[in-house]
Amino acid sequence: MMAEDARACYVYGVVTGDRTDEAVKDLPAVGDPEAPVTLVRHRGQAAVVSEVPVGKPLGTPEDLRSHAKVLDSLAEQGPPVLPFRFGTVVRDTAAVTDELLAEGHDDFARGLDRLRGRSQLTVRARYEQDAVLREVVTEQPEARRLREELRGLPEEEGYEQRIQLGRLVLDTIDAKRSVDALELDRRLGPYALASVSQEAASAEGLANASFLVEDAKRQAFEEAAEELAEHWHGRVRLRLIGPLAPYDFVADATIEGPEGKEGDE
Amino acid sequence: MSAVTVARQQQSQYLDRASSSALVDVVDLILDKGLVIDVYVRVSLVGIELVTIDARIVVASVDTYLRFAEATNRLDLARSGTETHGLPGLMDDLREGGGKKKTKGALEGVKESVSDLLHDDDDEDREPEPEERERHRRTRGSTSHRERER
Repeated sequence: MMAEDARACYVYGVVTGDRTDEAVKDLPAVGDPEAPVTLVRHRGQAAVVSEVPVGKPLGTPEDLRSHAKVLDSLAEQGPPVLPFRFGTVVRDTAAVTDELLAEGHDDFARGLDRLRGRSQLTVRARYEQDAVLREVVTEQPEARRLREELRGLPEEEGYEQRIQLGRLVLDTIDAKRSVDALELDRRLGPYALASVSQEAASAEGLANASFLVEDAKRQAFEEAAEELAEHWHGRVRLRLIGPLAPYDFVADATIEGPEGKEGDE
Repeated sequence: MSAVTVARQQQSQYLDRASSSALVDVVDLILDKGLVIDVYVRVSLVGIELVTIDARIVVASVDTYLRFAEATNRLDLARSGTETHGLPGLMDDLREGGGKKKTKGALEGVKESVSDLLHDDDDEDREPEPEERERHRRTRGSTSHRERER
């Protein structure tokens, strides 16, 4: 049993053993901002770790940010990085080498090999609300009719029409989303090895997609994204985040079996 | 002219590359992602009290319908339709006068006060029609009735 004030070892992920200690110097640690982030090396691989107090629950916003910051800084310096799930804690550094790295060696080696020279780029696309609503009203006579009908009605009236209008608008945006998400994939997909899409987190969201991109293709990918952003300017806001640690692709990269099946939906 | 036109004149940087430390972004990127290592090596993953942030909103709810209906009603088509796509056939149909372009933010909660909406657009000559006032009054959660009594 561990005492309340005991320390354990938080693990951010695994990188290749040739990284210098400088690579993780001054990065913010999870759980204890004072704790240094360090590398624990074993047979050509290194775990990125820091000490955490055992008694204190993890998971504050700062913790989440630190976890991402450490991994993304490493990704920015250059792949490969194998990010672990947030909240991975092992007993101590001895457990990191003797158990984690020793036992995981082959899986990690596979992942590091497959993700060499590859990073995640995440694209978030969001409709400009006025622009998309304008499109909807333009394309849908029924929406215009409902608008007419609602005009001048006091707030307490027209509830049914309001619901109807809102639903029609959202349905129409849904349909647009499918079309536009395909367009996004058509334009960016060719520059990526794999992609994963998450459902948009809000009604105005268009896409939340992650791409695994080779270093050599990154510039082309970014140019294609810039082009798309220009194409959609005024109607869709496009954000490109990264290069990031390959959060969405690491699991597939480490499992045994043929490569190239990762996440291509 | 509109903000859109101004933005076009800047060098062609349409893509937003700002790395954000917004919590919702971080959560979206990392939570439930990444390698999960063997249970017996691990001290914990359990016992971690994640500050729960429900980043996802329920999209298909009555509340959302109402929000979008309101935002749609507030749209000024007569004005911006010509700027962006040009809808000659629809213009007459949609022209409703009292062009108020202040529909920005409609879905995220309306910041402008009702009186702003009614009096701020000095470049518009036409006086809002009574129905217009009704329409603009319908800001979310607003219970102001003063402009109706004018």
